[in-house]
Amino acid sequence: MASSSPAPARLSVRELTKIFNTPEGPATAVKDVSFDIAPNTFFTMLGPSGCGKTTTLRMIAGLETITSGQILFNGEDFRRKSAFERNIGMVFQSYALFPHMTVFENAAYGLRLRGADEATITKRVHETLAMLRLDGLAQRYPADLSGGQQQRVSIGRALVYHPGMLLLDEPLANLDAKLRVEMRDEIRRLQKALNVMALYVTHDQEEAMAISDVIGVFSKGRLMQLGAPYDIYSAPISLFVADFIGKANFFPVDIESRDHGRAAVVALGGSRFAGVKTVTAASDEGEWFVKPQAALMMSRPEQMWLSSAGQQLDKPAFTGRALRIQFLGSFVRYLVETGQARGEVIVDLPAFAEGVSEGDEVRFGLVGPSLVFEEGSR
Amino acid sequence: MPPATRRRLNIAPYVAGGVTIFVLVAFLLYPIGTTMLNSFAPAGEAFNVLNATLENFSRFFTSSMYQQALLNTIFIGVMVTVLATAVAVPAAYFVARVQIPFKPLILSLSIIPLISPPFIGAYSWVVLFGRSGIVSQYLNQWFGIQMPPVYGYFGVILSMVLSNFTYVFLFVQGALTAVDPHLEESARVMGASRWRVLRTVVLPLAIPPMLAGAMIVLIEALGEFGAPAVLGGEMYVLSTLMYFQIHGFFNLNAASAIALVNVLITLGAILFLIRVNKKRRFVTVGSTTRRAALQTGRGIRIVANCYVWGLLALALLPQLVVVFTSFAEKWPGTLWPTQYGWGNYQYVFSRVVEPLQNSLILAAVATVACVIFGTLTGYVAERKTFFGKWALDLTIMLPFILPGIVTGVALLVTYNSGPIALTGTALIIVIGYFVRRIAYIYRSVVAAVTQIDLKMEEASTVAGATWGTTMRKVTIPLIAPGILAGAIIVFTTLISEMSTTVMLYSARWKTISIAIYERLETQEISAAAAIGSITILVTLILVLTATRVIGKSMSELFS
Ligand SMILES: Nc1ncnc2c1ncn2[C@@H]1O[C@H](COP(=O)(O)OP(=O)(O)OP(=O)(O)O)[C@@H](O)[C@H]1O
Ligand SMILES: [Mg+2]
Repeated sequence: MASSSPAPARLSVRELTKIFNTPEGPATAVKDVSFDIAPNTFFTMLGPSGCGKTTTLRMIAGLETITSGQILFNGEDFRRKSAFERNIGMVFQSYALFPHMTVFENAAYGLRLRGADEATITKRVHETLAMLRLDGLAQRYPADLSGGQQQRVSIGRALVYHPGMLLLDEPLANLDAKLRVEMRDEIRRLQKALNVMALYVTHDQEEAMAISDVIGVFSKGRLMQLGAPYDIYSAPISLFVADFIGKANFFPVDIESRDHGRAAVVALGGSRFAGVKTVTAASDEGEWFVKPQAALMMSRPEQMWLSSAGQQLDKPAFTGRALRIQFLGSFVRYLVETGQARGEVIVDLPAFAEGVSEGDEVRFGLVGPSLVFEEGSR
Repeated sequence: MPPATRRRLNIAPYVAGGVTIFVLVAFLLYPIGTTMLNSFAPAGEAFNVLNATLENFSRFFTSSMYQQALLNTIFIGVMVTVLATAVAVPAAYFVARVQIPFKPLILSLSIIPLISPPFIGAYSWVVLFGRSGIVSQYLNQWFGIQMPPVYGYFGVILSMVLSNFTYVFLFVQGALTAVDPHLEESARVMGASRWRVLRTVVLPLAIPPMLAGAMIVLIEALGEFGAPAVLGGEMYVLSTLMYFQIHGFFNLNAASAIALVNVLITLGAILFLIRVNKKRRFVTVGSTTRRAALQTGRGIRIVANCYVWGLLALALLPQLVVVFTSFAEKWPGTLWPTQYGWGNYQYVFSRVVEPLQNSLILAAVATVACVIFGTLTGYVAERKTFFGKWALDLTIMLPFILPGIVTGVALLVTYNSGPIALTGTALIIVIGYFVRRIAYIYRSVVAAVTQIDLKMEEASTVAGATWGTTMRKVTIPLIAPGILAGAIIVFTTLISEMSTTVMLYSARWKTISIAIYERLETQEISAAAAIGSITILVTLILVLTATRVIGKSMSELFS
């Protein structure tokens, strides 16, 4: 039996590609995805619906054939190994609990497959159930459990045989908002306590930021960016990622001059911004740009200032009209209509801006550093 | 609108419900009750407290023929159920989990044994495996193998298994297709082999639908009249014994006693299966739309295709033999017929027109009655609460567990004489059909009405529509597909109904099945086959047209 996995191992995915044969012809679900996950890392695959997260996870689990590419575990081909050697625990969105087995039998299933003796099984199952605060429910059937309890059982079933790797496909999608937050903290706590590598799939970016060590952002079957939550948020390398992670405002600009990866830009309305870091957008993001301006400057809502139009300030600014003012507890959100940005602009301030009410003309601008995206060569 | 008018209109559904209850009480509960009581009365008398006797049951202790019939019924019922389940479950698994071409066709073909006239197919086994049957003769010539006699257990069980396995097949296939594929996948990720997944996950999940299907097979087998009548030979079961008592000795009270015993066995079997099934957890259907990955291995595909198509071929063989035989104009005890042609059909269309007409008329009238009263009663039962609703529910479902021949015996015993003597009329046959089949319509209506949002009806009422208008404009159009589906099943199964008819028909009102039966008795096999072929054809056309109209597949109609 595989007790706690021997040496912490590293998972490498190399140019993984999956092409489904559908009645309408071949469809590429995953294309050239590569990443490395260090031991004990909480890795999250994040992306909109249909971008290939589940397919990637299922290829790693061995549930889907690989069209091309490799999955290496400590340098060895993962596909050649038996299910026991891979030693994976997996949690599904639908929980997939066996309806004809009690909670105990569900949890014991993996151990029985590994030929554990009855004493070990009883001990391990009870340990695991206790860890998940499920003690006392061992003899129940899944149909008699709440959604949250079912989810815990399915996590317990995946962890009981100390897998080297835990795969979770949108495990919280069927739970209500409050329970979702509780459970995600619990999953993270268990992952760290048991020192198991976790691969987590979600399309909820807040959840991904809260839970992960490393996030991989997917779009249309490709891995767009890989990094820690903060890096992805503050230094996106494509417009898709900038827009998908958190909220972003985009201003069409022309580049005036460049210097060591930084540029001076002129926005619509004539404001100048100097020393802005430049990034080349992904090759297929041409339609994001607003011609004739060649570039887009991106700024996060909380990195903006806003004041009433009457106030004269000596810094580069845009003008617009405050459409809506929302008090959201810890901050105030202004939705601003302007001709100088791509779409409406969102400005989050720690407190109400003096003398601004809905419908008023306002000035607003950037605080701190921002990014400017240039069109990539096609 | 004045409130008085509206109140009067609202009575309509209750009137319909009331009439249905009256019919059920008068023509189902009362006859069954009378039958049960009369089984304790001496031959030829009606039951009263003073003449109570166990004489009719004493034969179960004294007559070896009765004892044997009782044992045969139980033995055949159990064997048919076990074997039908055993052949159906692998087929269901293969269709649900292995890549096989033409799955919709497979499902549709599997229905044909259910809708074919019951015993003309049974006789096909004589044509094939009888002492001078085609297969028997070849086996004898080539290999010197002597087939076991087809009359008796072998033929009866074989024919009943192949005409009833479809219930289990469709139930299990449907359930396995609906199971969340993640159940099997999570077992595989944990390291379970395919065989282990099959044993610990798939088969346990298949048990509840399997038992549900097995229950229907068992009920059918315990009440079956056609196969034992044609293939039983010297072997009697309770249903053929009942027939024998009535047509041979006209001893109604003895038949009543046999009916009571038959009902008790059926009831015991049902309670046993319900108990077994209660301990099981029902399948939780997953929320995903992902379908289970089909096995594509070469070996498993070969096995699956051979098994499924082989089973279908075997199950459809009787129908094919019927059609073949119908073209045999001369078959004088030779291996193959000596002359083929349309002669049998000419004979049928000149001489056997009346039974065809009778079957269509009787089935049509009964179906219309079922539709009208089943719909209104189902609607009332689902939408309104009233005293004794559970009793109505139970009564309507009662014929499901009563062997058809028992319903026939009950009606015959009760309305044979006295103030309302109905024996020999068309009415008694229609009534028999009605009480046996109204449950199909009732159930589909209850299911369909449950799906309709009450607010739609309320919106119509608020807009000023009367109850009748709301029914016509809103409710009926929404539940029509369900009713139609039910009506087709009722009509097609009634055209070739045998078990109830055999007790109620008269010289004036013979049906197709009786005409076939009589010709089998007089050895006019080819003529019987021609009538059978016509019935099969009419039934198939009806069902196919209906599936086009409703947009459901054939197999969905029956599960
Ligand atoms: N078995 C299959 N056959 C054909 N196409 C498939 C199959 N499974 C997935 N796809 C396609 O592959 C693409 C990626 O699907 P996948 O399930 O990986 O998306 P996802 O990122 O998990 O989305 P979601 O967030 O909605 O779960 C989709 O376009 C999907 O339609
Ligand atoms: Mg998914």
